[in-house]
Order: sequence, then structure tokens, then C-alpha cells
Amino acid sequence: MSLLTKSLLSTHSHWAIFCRVVDNHGDLGVCWRLATQLAKRHKQVTLYVDEVSALQWMAPEGCDGVKVLAWPDNNELISQYAAADVVIEAFGCDLPQIYQAAMAAWHKAPVWINLEYFSAEDTALRNHGLPSPVMSGPAKGMTKWFYYPSLTEDSGGVMGGLSALTTSGMTNISLKISLFCYEPASLGLWLQQLNDLPQDVVISVTAGRATQAVRQALQGWSEPQRFSIQELPYLSHPAFDAMLAAQDLNLVRGEDSLIRAIWAGKAFLWHIYRQDDGAHHAKLAAFLKATHAPEVVVQAHLAWNAEQPTPLPLLTPSHMAEWTHWAVALRNRLGTQTDLLTRLESFAAAQG
Amino acid sequence: MHGKDPMVVLKTEYSRGGRNSATVRMKLKSLIANFNTEVVFKADDKMDQIVLEKKDCTYSYFADPMYVWMDTEFNQYEVENENMGDSLNYLEDGMTAEVVFYDGKAISVELPTSVVREITWTEPAVKGDTSGKVLKPAKIATGFDISVPIFVAQGDKVEIDTRTAEYRKRV
Repeated sequence: MSLLTKSLLSTHSHWAIFCRVVDNHGDLGVCWRLATQLAKRHKQVTLYVDEVSALQWMAPEGCDGVKVLAWPDNNELISQYAAADVVIEAFGCDLPQIYQAAMAAWHKAPVWINLEYFSAEDTALRNHGLPSPVMSGPAKGMTKWFYYPSLTEDSGGVMGGLSALTTSGMTNISLKISLFCYEPASLGLWLQQLNDLPQDVVISVTAGRATQAVRQALQGWSEPQRFSIQELPYLSHPAFDAMLAAQDLNLVRGEDSLIRAIWAGKAFLWHIYRQDDGAHHAKLAAFLKATHAPEVVVQAHLAWNAEQPTPLPLLTPSHMAEWTHWAVALRNRLGTQTDLLTRLESFAAAQG
Repeated sequence: MHGKDPMVVLKTEYSRGGRNSATVRMKLKSLIANFNTEVVFKADDKMDQIVLEKKDCTYSYFADPMYVWMDTEFNQYEVENENMGDSLNYLEDGMTAEVVFYDGKAISVELPTSVVREITWTEPAVKGDTSGKVLKPAKIATGFDISVPIFVAQGDKVEIDTRTAEYRKRV
């Protein structure tokens, strides 16, 4: 690392992060983790959010060093926006015009980064780190940089920071599963499969859409229910991480929880965010290929993300062992890499 | 324009991001300075476009390193190999396209949004799946690779979306 880069690392002390809550809470979850991890590295962080209510349960105690502010109003004065060294536009949320005008007026232009969604696709890796000239609006003439979290050394990396220790491995007494999903078509079939397992099954279901989906699937359930359901409240990040670490199998959705599930080191199943034209199937395929997923994991993912009810592979001991081995190998592989935050800081420093 | 430099887009790659967003990666070449660069935009980013003159032309011949196009008045225009971009993938004698001019100089070629080309190689056709969603590799005369449904055979003519290189339909 050059002396100049090291110097810029230390002078990039004020970071501004912009986040729009579109649906669900994953975007805000990622931004909050990023903000808190920056604050732990002694950065001053301002998080602009258009909808803050989820932070009340996600992070009830807040975080020293992180100031949460409302989405800027275009009728305000640009002078009230203190200059930031680095501005993170999360997931292409489009910075408000007033803030763009403020950035253009600052003595020193910030490093402006569009933090993209996690992707294992080759296109993401090709786009990572490319400049994007701003050609219209108040910030015309400035440059933003596209930054892609992914699994390889030459990508943006993934967020680190396991906040809970992995607890002991599977027992044959009961199978502990967490369920954080959208509304998978295969849910009903899968619950039936769990019901037929020889061991006891305990399913911890997260609040919101997952709970509603399970209740819907169990309506009209006619046979004795052998598995037990625990409906969880909304969990803070540390509590969510601890919950994942205590399971044998984690079913997760979106991206923030995917990364947390990887760090938990347990078998996991990813319910990817559905996109209208089916583009999510290519993203899922890229992830499975990039992680060298064995056949049982591939079939489970295809079934869980199918448009029609599709049986998942049975949770036999051998399948679970293979599944867990895959998850642990992935965690260990990512554990040898620098984390997203370190790479992001270096990237920002390299842009000046 | 890229800063103060007029640029021609040599190559684009469109990709879907998360949550129904999309990006376009572009390889750009300066029209006046000797440099290339790669940039990426969100698909809905707005930019000022230079108003360029365009003419409908047909492709005549290749005079290395120039590709020669002719307009309806038989005027010939040379486009550098490097500026042909994606049109090289679909090039065939007599094809029509718009030649783009900057400051009187032919700088690039804009294809129509779709072209019809013959499949010169593919694996044998398989009947059964008519949905068009199961694909196999194929080539057209230029050697360009596309994916086609499994029922498409060698010699078939297909319509191809030139913006995405995707099969549209068998003609």
C-alpha cells in the first residue's frame, strides 16, 4: 500500500451513507452493518434513510459514531450538509438532488461510491471498480464508482464481523432450522417433508413475511404436526447472528442474511430476491457455481426458488453432512480474504 | 461526451442488477485523443448525447482496416475496424445500418434493433420443448455465438436482437 493511500485512509474520516428502504429490510440491514463497522474503525458516519422504523428493532441501542438522519429534502439549503470524504450511494438509490448540489459545492469532491448488490456473476466482477461519469444533474462532471460485493479476491468482498460464536454441531435428537423467507412456492411441500422426518424438528420462524407464509401454509393442515414452530420477534443484528449460529440449517433470504448465514458456518439455503424477468435465476446459478455447491445443495436451491411447488432433497444425515461441509468450506474460504470494509476503505483511498 | 472528450461507444454490455435494476458497461474510444476507457452506468442514467449526423447506408466491402459503406447517392464512407463495435458480429454484404458522423467523419455504425441471420452451425434440432426457454449454442456466418432454442436447426433463419444478442424468433 502506498504512503499516499495510507495517508488517505486516515483522512477519510467522514462517511455518508444513503439508503432507501424499498421493500423488506435487507438494504437497511447492510447499510447499518456498514455504518457500525465504519464507526468501530473510528469513522464519523452519517446514515441518511428514508424510512427508519426498522432500526428500532434492528438496532434499538443505536451506535456511537453513527448519526441517523432523514432523507434530505430538496427544499433545504445545501450549506447544512457538512462535507463528507466518502459518500456511499447504496444499491443505486439515487442521491437527492440537494445533496448532489452540496457535493458539487464542497471544497474537495468526495469519493462517491455506488455500493451494488452482492453478486457472484461474471458481469458484476467486470463492472466492479469501474468509474461512472455523472452526466446530468447538479453533480454533472463528478465521477462515481461502482463497487460490487462478491466472493473473489478481486471483487468488493463481503462484510465480515461474526458477532456470535458458532455453537455445537448437529445432534440426532432434534433438527433445528431457522426460516427467514419470502413466500416460497415449495414451503408447504417442504413442511410436509419435515413432518415425515424421524427426528424432532424445531423451526424458528422470523417475524414478518416468513411467519405469514408459514401460517398460510399450515392452514388446513390435516395430519398430526410433528414439527414445532417458534415464531420469533423482530431481532437485532446480534440476536439474529446468535440465532443463526444455534441452528443446524438456516433458510435465509436477500443478501444481508445470506452473508450472516455463511459466517454462521451451518448449512444454509438461500431464497433469492425474485426479479420480474427471472434474472434472479442466473444470479442464483452463479452463486452456486462460484461456491462449488454439491448436487444436494444445488437441487435444494432450485427447488426452494422454483415458481411451482417442488420437493427439496430429504434432510438425511448424509445430505446434511455434505451440506454443512459445503457451508463450512465457504466460510473458511471467505475467512482467508480481507473483508468488504477493508477493501472499501482501500478502494476509497485509491480514488483520492 | 466524457468530460470534454467526444467518445464513441465501441462495445456495450447490459446486465441485470439486484431488485430489477440494470447496468450498462461501455468501452469508449475518444474521437480526438488516443485513448480508450471503460465505464459503467445505471440503465436509467441520463446523459447529454451529442447530436450526430446519421445516414442510412449499405455495407459494401472491407478494405483493411476500413469497412466501406455506401449511401443512397453512392457516396462511400470508411469506418475504422475498431469503431465497428458490435456490428461486426452481424456483418454481411448489402446489410443496411446507420453510419454515424462526427464533424464530417464516419465514426461508428448503428445497427437496427434486430437482424435476420442464418444459423450456420448448431447441434441437431430436438423436437418437444416449444417454450423456447431451453437453449443450445449456435453460430451465424460471422462466427458470432448466440443461444437458440433446441428446435432450431442449421440453415434456419432467426431474428436476433442486436442490443442483447438474444434470439427472438425463427423466421
